[in-house]
Amino acid sequence: MTSMNKPGKKKFLIDMEKCTSCQLCVIACKDEHVGADYLPWTKSQPQTGHFWIDVHSMERGQIPRVKMSYLPMMCQHCDNAACVKACPEDAIKRRDDGLVWIDQEKCTGCGMCEDACPYDVIFMNQDVGVAQKCTGCAHRVDAGSLPRCAEVCPHDVILFADEDDAAFLAAAADAAIHHPEFEARPRVLWKGLPQPWIAGAVFDAASDDLLADVEVTAVDLFDDSVHTARSDAFGDFRITGLRDGRKYLLHIRGPHHEEVRSVVTCDGDQDLGTIALIPQ
Amino acid sequence: MPNDQQPDHQHIADEKPRTVYVSHPASGLARSNFPLVCEVTSARIVRSRPFHIPDSVRRYEIKTSTRGVFTRPQKEVQMPLAFAWKQRVHADTRVRYPLLRNDWSPDNPNTEQRGHSGYTRISWDRAIDIIVDQIKRIHQKYGSMEPVLVQADGHGHSGYMQSLHFWGHYLFDMIREHLGWGWWTQQVRNPDSWEGYYWGAKHVWGFDATLGEPYQDAVWDDVLEHTEMVIFSGNDPEATGLGMSGSIALEMPKWLKRAGIKIIALAPDLNYAASVHADTWIPLKPNTDAALYLALAHCWISEGNYDKDYVASHTIGFDAFAAHVLGEDDGVVKNPAWAEPITGVPARTIRALAREWAKKRTSFSVYFGGPKIRGTMSHLAARLEAYVLAMQGIGKPGRQFLRTGAPSFYKKSLAQVPRYPQVDRHGIALNPLIEYAIGKGPKSPVFIPRTLAAEAILDRAVSWFGTTAALAKTEDQFKHYQFPPSIDHPGIRMVWNENGSQPGSWGHGLKWLEALRSPMIDFVVGVHPWLENDLPYSDLILPAQTNYEHEDLIAVQRSDLLAMFWQDQAVEPVGESKSDYEIHRMIGLRLGLEAAFPPAEDWMKSAYEGTLAHTGHGLDWAAFKDRKFVIYDCPTWEEWVDIKREHGYDEHGGGLQWYWSTATGLETLSGRIEFVSGRIAALDPDNAERPPLAKWLTHREQAGSARAATYPLTVMSNHPRFRFHVQGDDIDWIKEIGKVRGPDGYWYEPCRMHPDEAAARDIADGDIVRVFNERGAVLAGAMLTERLIPGAVSIDHGAKMDMAMLTNQIVDRGGCINLIAPSPLEKYGPGADIKVPEMNVSGFLVQIEKIDPADIVPGTGIGQGVVVSS
Repeated sequence: MTSMNKPGKKKFLIDMEKCTSCQLCVIACKDEHVGADYLPWTKSQPQTGHFWIDVHSMERGQIPRVKMSYLPMMCQHCDNAACVKACPEDAIKRRDDGLVWIDQEKCTGCGMCEDACPYDVIFMNQDVGVAQKCTGCAHRVDAGSLPRCAEVCPHDVILFADEDDAAFLAAAADAAIHHPEFEARPRVLWKGLPQPWIAGAVFDAASDDLLADVEVTAVDLFDDSVHTARSDAFGDFRITGLRDGRKYLLHIRGPHHEEVRSVVTCDGDQDLGTIALIPQ
Repeated sequence: MPNDQQPDHQHIADEKPRTVYVSHPASGLARSNFPLVCEVTSARIVRSRPFHIPDSVRRYEIKTSTRGVFTRPQKEVQMPLAFAWKQRVHADTRVRYPLLRNDWSPDNPNTEQRGHSGYTRISWDRAIDIIVDQIKRIHQKYGSMEPVLVQADGHGHSGYMQSLHFWGHYLFDMIREHLGWGWWTQQVRNPDSWEGYYWGAKHVWGFDATLGEPYQDAVWDDVLEHTEMVIFSGNDPEATGLGMSGSIALEMPKWLKRAGIKIIALAPDLNYAASVHADTWIPLKPNTDAALYLALAHCWISEGNYDKDYVASHTIGFDAFAAHVLGEDDGVVKNPAWAEPITGVPARTIRALAREWAKKRTSFSVYFGGPKIRGTMSHLAARLEAYVLAMQGIGKPGRQFLRTGAPSFYKKSLAQVPRYPQVDRHGIALNPLIEYAIGKGPKSPVFIPRTLAAEAILDRAVSWFGTTAALAKTEDQFKHYQFPPSIDHPGIRMVWNENGSQPGSWGHGLKWLEALRSPMIDFVVGVHPWLENDLPYSDLILPAQTNYEHEDLIAVQRSDLLAMFWQDQAVEPVGESKSDYEIHRMIGLRLGLEAAFPPAEDWMKSAYEGTLAHTGHGLDWAAFKDRKFVIYDCPTWEEWVDIKREHGYDEHGGGLQWYWSTATGLETLSGRIEFVSGRIAALDPDNAERPPLAKWLTHREQAGSARAATYPLTVMSNHPRFRFHVQGDDIDWIKEIGKVRGPDGYWYEPCRMHPDEAAARDIADGDIVRVFNERGAVLAGAMLTERLIPGAVSIDHGAKMDMAMLTNQIVDRGGCINLIAPSPLEKYGPGADIKVPEMNVSGFLVQIEKIDPADIVPGTGIGQGVVVSS
């Protein structure tokens, strides 16, 4: 990544698939901000209760087909920020580099921004009567350093760079926006945002052996798109990249087995358990 | 937690911070990871940042023929606790001055009041007077120092020299050497995190120098080139690995993924690393790995897909094992259908695992050994693990025993990753005091295993086999020992507690607390920075410093790169605290031991001057202190291949390749892998618990035992991710990320359980539960999860103790599960010879019930009422 003290507009890229929820970003943020003012960008963070970055965990699936998805969540530094609009004091401002900050002198602590933020990342500091949030470590960016979360992350989950930096653009090629329906035009891009899956395991009802390499197909009954997975050596299959609320026609075709058909509604991840395939 | 020396915020910006390297607080045994890069002002630790390996340091490259090149990152992070540790420096739990218990006097120690009493600040002069008087009194009354039990062996905040925990042993050793006052009673550190390998696997394949785990020479070269599947047996690089080895532990699973190697997680829980890295999770009930291994062996024998040539040439006694697997000796066929109800793993999954393991080049991975290695009869699981690894030809290309991170001593002759051998041998300053903690045997002939310290005080007499010293030879496990050494011996009269980790890191902690209150014990000295855990059971507490408060050397030996750093003093000492070394030096000087206690820097300088940085690169002490660090270059791949060839390894060979190619050289009697142990057959053939051939057996801490009718759940206990053993729970930031907040606002230790087990007990997520057995009870916050097999509960070890009352019963509100873990004596009964004095802190029975937190009366139990008056 390029040097940070250029005038260019900044963006974050968060790659969820790499996050292990080690919490180093959370602790580094507290290490930076608790007990230290960095004015004008922010007053100090209280000792507890604020998570200017927080790692939300999603436990997915059922034993034994369980996986975790972790979502490091912080201010999205929106170009069309609801908090800016909601603030009656015009205390929430945007820097030239795109980082959004709350002017701690003008803020009256009314809490309107906290209510307005669709990403739920603004915190009220009762001790000093102001709203606070991630500043993108504006004070460190100005000194040519990375935000603490991006600096400490051992898995390269959090990238921070000029939005037109070539390496950033390459890394963000297939990135998406979290909750595009908020129409907030956030400056945080995401990779690996979770989409529901249909999982299960197959075994041969006669031999009681788990079946590898069985093709499992899910046909989206809304748009006819076809999604396929093959079972692994433990009979497990997981069809990924599905969409919430859709109905799927599932076909399970063992090599010499009666086909299993079923309609599955994706209301979150679906685990079908262990399925016996009947030899023909 | 208030920081009492923290100035107003406005003044902070005025002073430009200076940079200080501070030893990672979870360092132990004088060995460290890379330090934190701390920015400090005269009044405040501003921030702690990761270290970056400079471009000028040549990092290694592991080259493979088709899978790419692997190296380590420049960024070097430590566990999150390290970055939060600064909050402990000025915490209100700090011991700031020498403290004397109010109702202790030499003539009336009021032992039963330990844990209840208040303390009064006294001067250092008076504190040293009292200690020296007590030492002299012991000598005059009993004629030697044998009545002094010194427990000091790591498991606490530690550094290279100043915060080291071995100085108690050293002090009494010097009293013996220079004053001639005789031996002290050395508490011997057992192979705590390796128990099963030590007591079990060593009898199969040796590896005495690495506590029963196979050597790691160049093992990654082999694995990344050849392996197709790796089984993580309870291994969690994201927890123990990060804490012990730093960033490299996080990197290694990513190497496996990038090389296209499948990861199978085999454990009761889907741990942190497994939850993101594993391709398949096979949940099994805690401490039933032995049954799973037997069933795998059954599959391979039935289907003929084990390495018959290897078994014939590299092992002895297989026929007897096969007969046991097939039930020819006991009528029980150990097939997958037999194992299914024991392990909770479906028979069809066991068969699939057996076929995959046979078909794919499979390595087996741990950090220490996972929860299975620290439970009742963990030696059985470890022996059977070695058996099944032998059946699939351990040491063949791609079939290795793989640690995800290995301190530099884990080898036959070469490091785990490319490093110059001379750097391994002479690169970093090794503190000779480590022998007191990780040694081939106790220095003092009068000793007690750490696992039996409470018994030695309360039961007065214990006898057992094996010193339990970590690096002892296997033969030692057949030697009989006893305490006290003679019938007229006074036993233990004084305890020297250097880190407060006994009740939370070992089994049956409540018994240890009882021992500290025994009328036998006239005097308890505590040396520690914080008033916590069993420290409030001391009569005199001496304020030790944190690593931020003194200069020290930092010897980076647990990472993949070897380095030394100079630690400057970051902040002014808190109160009148002194470093552990200075505390013991003050006592030594008062006793006239000047020669044994030189100024600290003399000691460090002398150690440094023996290293390659000085002898090979000509960097003298002053220049090193000025430069602040030395990081040794790694060899190029081509140099490394040449080095390997000199040591008998192929370009892409490593691990146990030497054994695969020679079929000899192990430390067993035969030099080969022994299904039937020659040593046990010769020295202890009638041991039913650990017979010459490892056989399935049941025991009292198992599901299905008589006790399980009352206590039906099995505790599994990992090393914590966010604490370091018993340390760090007092940091607010760590509570926020690692605890469950109860409806009463208290941060409870998480008790993970499957929703099915919770539903059967009317427990909801976030409820407060009582976890109990006949030994006692602790409280915890229920955390419902699909990540744990039903029948188990998962509570990490070492939560900070906080005694309270619940409906007239004493409970630990802090949730320190070790308090109710078994003592090794229980397997045998009072007075019996302890055949295998293994520690059991994971894999024991409990019951759980929901409680109403309104019924908790805080601060009325033992360990409470501790008020400090100045």
